[in-house]
Amino acid sequence: MAELSAFNFRPGFSVLHGLDVRFKLLFLVLISVTSLKAYPVSLSVLTLVLVAALLHAQRSLKSILKSFRYVFVLLAFIFFARALSVPGSAVIEFKAVSITREGIYHGVLICWRLVIVVLTGLAFVSTTRPSEIKAAVEWLLNPFPFIPSKRIATMMSLVVRFIPVIFDQARETADAQRARGVDNRKNPVYRLKKLGIPLMRRTFEKADKLAVAMEARCYSENRTDPGLCARLRDWTALFVVICLCMFIVVW
Amino acid sequence: MNIIEIKNLSHRFADSTLGLENINLTIREGTFVIIAGQNGSGKTTLLKHLNGLLLPTAGTIRLAGLPVSENLVKARQMVGMVFQDADSQIVGETVCDDVAFGPENLCLDRNEVKRRVFKSLKIVGLLDFEDQKPHLLSGGEKRRLAIAGILAMEPKVLVFDEPFSSLDYPGVKQILKQIVSLHRSGHTILVAAHDLEKVFAHADRLVIMKEGKVVKDGIPSQLLGELETFGIREPCASRLGVEVPSWLN
Repeated sequence: MAELSAFNFRPGFSVLHGLDVRFKLLFLVLISVTSLKAYPVSLSVLTLVLVAALLHAQRSLKSILKSFRYVFVLLAFIFFARALSVPGSAVIEFKAVSITREGIYHGVLICWRLVIVVLTGLAFVSTTRPSEIKAAVEWLLNPFPFIPSKRIATMMSLVVRFIPVIFDQARETADAQRARGVDNRKNPVYRLKKLGIPLMRRTFEKADKLAVAMEARCYSENRTDPGLCARLRDWTALFVVICLCMFIVVW
Repeated sequence: MNIIEIKNLSHRFADSTLGLENINLTIREGTFVIIAGQNGSGKTTLLKHLNGLLLPTAGTIRLAGLPVSENLVKARQMVGMVFQDADSQIVGETVCDDVAFGPENLCLDRNEVKRRVFKSLKIVGLLDFEDQKPHLLSGGEKRRLAIAGILAMEPKVLVFDEPFSSLDYPGVKQILKQIVSLHRSGHTILVAAHDLEKVFAHADRLVIMKEGKVVKDGIPSQLLGELETFGIREPCASRLGVEVPSWLN
């Protein structure tokens, strides 16, 4: 799970850290949606703004690039898919396959837009405590009468908490089976069954223990409400983000 | 004053096996009690009755005079239980969130929640870890976090189920130091263990269980010679004829 740690919350005192989570969630949606309509000039401005915000939030460029390494594989795939499929004037031709100038332009544009969406997500996740995200989800779901917002928020936080534990268990079970020569069995269905069944059993056992532990700590859906508070700086930030989005749409 | 009073407690599991049989036990406030016994002797089953996680088939349990079965929330607030597997007990995505879980369930004011989180983390020495992911903590730190999560509910009785299992020597010392210090600060301590070596020197009372029954109950030093009859290993020092020392020395 270490490779996913770059997308974790990092404590700090930047402007982004201090903003209300509901506003940050709104900014994430606004910037992500408008960036899908952005072109090179506005994308350059957005990239600069986001990189500056991440640097201000004390995220190093090296760690950002490192956290992007898996995203780059996906982006490369998207780029080549566009470069090969968009018709236009050919730059490289090999038999029936050709990479076009328009394809390269569209490929770069789409990849750039996706990088902006991921960067915005990174800025959001690395400056927001998981408990605040949970609080925002709870707040957003509250107006819907038939949705148990508190239960959903708790389930969400438990999923976040237990994903690394399940990964660890999977690794441990796989190691124990490798130590007993499971590598010699070439049938993937057999290997999946031998890994999946004990892993599921352990996961359910853990879930049972967790339910008892939560009960021991008086778990109830009627809990202290998350402390969310919108201040002047949040409204100022909203104004700035709306201006930025308008600039993106116009340019 | 007796903080725990158990009268004629029996518990039968859903598969009709008898987990506990006619347990009678009173525990005075502020005492340090070891509940010892082999695996399957009923230690954990007994402890789970103290905060109503299991309800008796027969008999009653009273905490400071209040029947547990009629005051479940109060019982769970009064009796904090630290489980054997700390990983399954930790529910928060960060150390701070996890400690806040209990006080939030008690619907306390947000400032009071913060105060209790700060105080509990300070007691267990995890203040510098408040934004850390629990998954990344060491075994000893996870168990200290589980203790902090319980302390934040300000219980009078602290129950530890095999608190030293799968801990290294420094981890054992950290947890033992924590338990002893909580006892000194006035908490009633109950420790369930099958290996008495680590905790023996600090206990005021030893309760031995076998097959769901309390078979011995007394001052620890007076029961030393009988331990192995019940499948509990006698501490090394006692075998050599000397007083059992504290692991903290």
